[in-house]
Amino acid sequence: MVLDLLANGLIYSSIIVLGSIGLSLVYSIAGFANFAHGDTMTVGAYSALVTFGAVGGLGGAILGLPFGFFVALAVGIAMAAVVAVVTEKVVYEGLDVGSIGLLITSIGIAFVYRAVIQMGFSSDFTRYDIQALRPIEALLPYGIRVTEHDVAIFVSAVVLVTGLHVLLQYTDLGRKMRAMADNPDLARVSGIRTDRVKLWTWVIGAGLAGAGGVFLGLYGRLAPRMGFDLLLVIFAAVILGGIGSVYGAMLGGVLIGMINQLTPLLSGVGALLPIVPDGWGIGLEYANALAFLIMVVVLLFRPNGIAGDGEGT
Amino acid sequence: MSLVSDPKGYWADLTRPEQGVLAFVLGFALLLLLGLLTGGIGPSYFLFLVGLAGMYSLLSFGLNVQWGYSGLINFSVAAFFGIGAYGTALASASSSPLAGGIPPVVGLFVALVLAGVLALLIGIPTLRLRADYLAIASIGLAEVVRIIILNEGWLTNGSAGVRGIPGFFEGWPVLETFPETMPGVIITALPGPTIVLGTNFWQALLNVALVLTLVGICYLVLRRVHRSPWGRVLRTIRSDEDAARALGKNTYSYKMQAFVLGSLIMALAGVFYAHLNLYVGPGDLNPITTFYVWVAVILGGSGSNRGALFGGFVIVAIQQGTRFLNEFGWIPVDVAPLRLLLIGVIIVLLMRFRPQGVLPPQRELIWRGVVDDAPSQPERGVRGSKAGESDD
Repeated sequence: MVLDLLANGLIYSSIIVLGSIGLSLVYSIAGFANFAHGDTMTVGAYSALVTFGAVGGLGGAILGLPFGFFVALAVGIAMAAVVAVVTEKVVYEGLDVGSIGLLITSIGIAFVYRAVIQMGFSSDFTRYDIQALRPIEALLPYGIRVTEHDVAIFVSAVVLVTGLHVLLQYTDLGRKMRAMADNPDLARVSGIRTDRVKLWTWVIGAGLAGAGGVFLGLYGRLAPRMGFDLLLVIFAAVILGGIGSVYGAMLGGVLIGMINQLTPLLSGVGALLPIVPDGWGIGLEYANALAFLIMVVVLLFRPNGIAGDGEGT
Repeated sequence: MSLVSDPKGYWADLTRPEQGVLAFVLGFALLLLLGLLTGGIGPSYFLFLVGLAGMYSLLSFGLNVQWGYSGLINFSVAAFFGIGAYGTALASASSSPLAGGIPPVVGLFVALVLAGVLALLIGIPTLRLRADYLAIASIGLAEVVRIIILNEGWLTNGSAGVRGIPGFFEGWPVLETFPETMPGVIITALPGPTIVLGTNFWQALLNVALVLTLVGICYLVLRRVHRSPWGRVLRTIRSDEDAARALGKNTYSYKMQAFVLGSLIMALAGVFYAHLNLYVGPGDLNPITTFYVWVAVILGGSGSNRGALFGGFVIVAIQQGTRFLNEFGWIPVDVAPLRLLLIGVIIVLLMRFRPQGVLPPQRELIWRGVVDDAPSQPERGVRGSKAGESDD
């Protein structure tokens, strides 16, 4: 039971991490809390749906996923990045309203994305045209029920996150991004073309979000609201890790994803606590609420997150 | 400079945006009137719309106290609206899993107390936070409230919601039976089809009277409060909290007062909604309600009560107006997302071209007497007397 929950937590965490990195990157470099980030994930998911419908399976398969799906994944990432860059160019760049104004604008952008998707695909649920798999036989004796698709989600997320790590630490662009996250003005006077770095930030952040959206669709199902519903959970992860810190966001993403999936363990909590009745417990329906409460507690006591230096701002 | 004695002067005295808004409002009212006369809009439905608009205006007033006066980014409007609606519904509805059957006036106070407690619960931890953190924390806590209401069926009936809510005036001496005792009026003189004003109409009229009273009281109170020393401190906090603190003001306490006051007004809107709609469900607490109210406040002009009033009516026009589009078969797309698109586009356009809103607070903040009594130029010109001119 616990092993199964841990395994599922790991897979759910992969999706949250992909979303939270982008949100954190954009926060630290573009300077505002982007409420359209969840809907950027939705854009990725639906782009992949359309692409996969068009190209089909393309023969062979890895981990139960046809090659065509990986093409669709790439298109989903690309579309999310393109949409984000176009939004930055058309909307955000021309605004002079401070970080709060940008935050409010991003809510409007989120509605526009969602409305367009809803017009094209209706508000109903849909799925990728891929055969659902049975859990992997070899793991069943341990009580772990994960499919090859879940493994694929996890492996892909690890590959993407490792790629981002290499990019941030060992490439020129990564160093510029870190410099800009640290101090944009200093980066600018040092000769870094900050607007170009900002665009790359949008590409990377939205691209990862797009990938997260595609996997979210594969993990559950697709709906126009899927991204917006996940957004607050991603915010909780980013804040837990320390807003603006990429590695903090990864850590926060893993923790929130785990806590979210491990919530059923609390269903017997009534028996342990003195006053409350025995039958009382916190079920899966409160998983998100728990994440939000953790977020508020972290904001209160460690506003810079568990990975930050602990000083309030 | 009153409207009746000197309409031309009144018009010339307005600023450009005020003229635009006035023209728009008059035009829109004319359109509605036309719809009423030709039978396109039923009179009861029309009154229902006015009631909804009044409700959104109340919500906007509440948010205006928080965001417009004091700069608090509160994204938990839906939670306070919902707690107000659920408070009175659980007290008075026949299907309430708790008490039920209590007069709605008592329900009103139950709702206000609940909202006050919730405001303290949300405010105490979050009001110390930085602006953008407050936004995220408050929407998170609002979701917690919604999830609790959705899942604790023993308390709230869960996803089924609460039905059987009586009208607000149940238990009042005359007003309770007012809709039944009023005669059905039949109007045939107008060019449109025959209009029958029955019980529904009088019931709706009563609701509209209620909401207009609430809106009127809130407007007057808030206008007074906004110009008072208290309101001035709030405005200082909004523009520079450190400055307010340096002047010796306990900004946390002031922000808390503004937060609670705003939340109570939102709960008032919720109470009215419960007795207008006669049903509340967890769906009423969806975050979209919060964003509707935000659009109303930003559109009207943050910090302006007139603006909030205007914004509330525009929101209902968008919400219900898009519903009419359903009747045109030639529109190829579903209309529900169109509403969302419209809201999104309005937010973006506003922030791009007019972030201060359509009716930003300007002369609202000045006591009328100060403007009228102040001379437009000094009585004795300095330069004139130096040059040896005499003014008599």
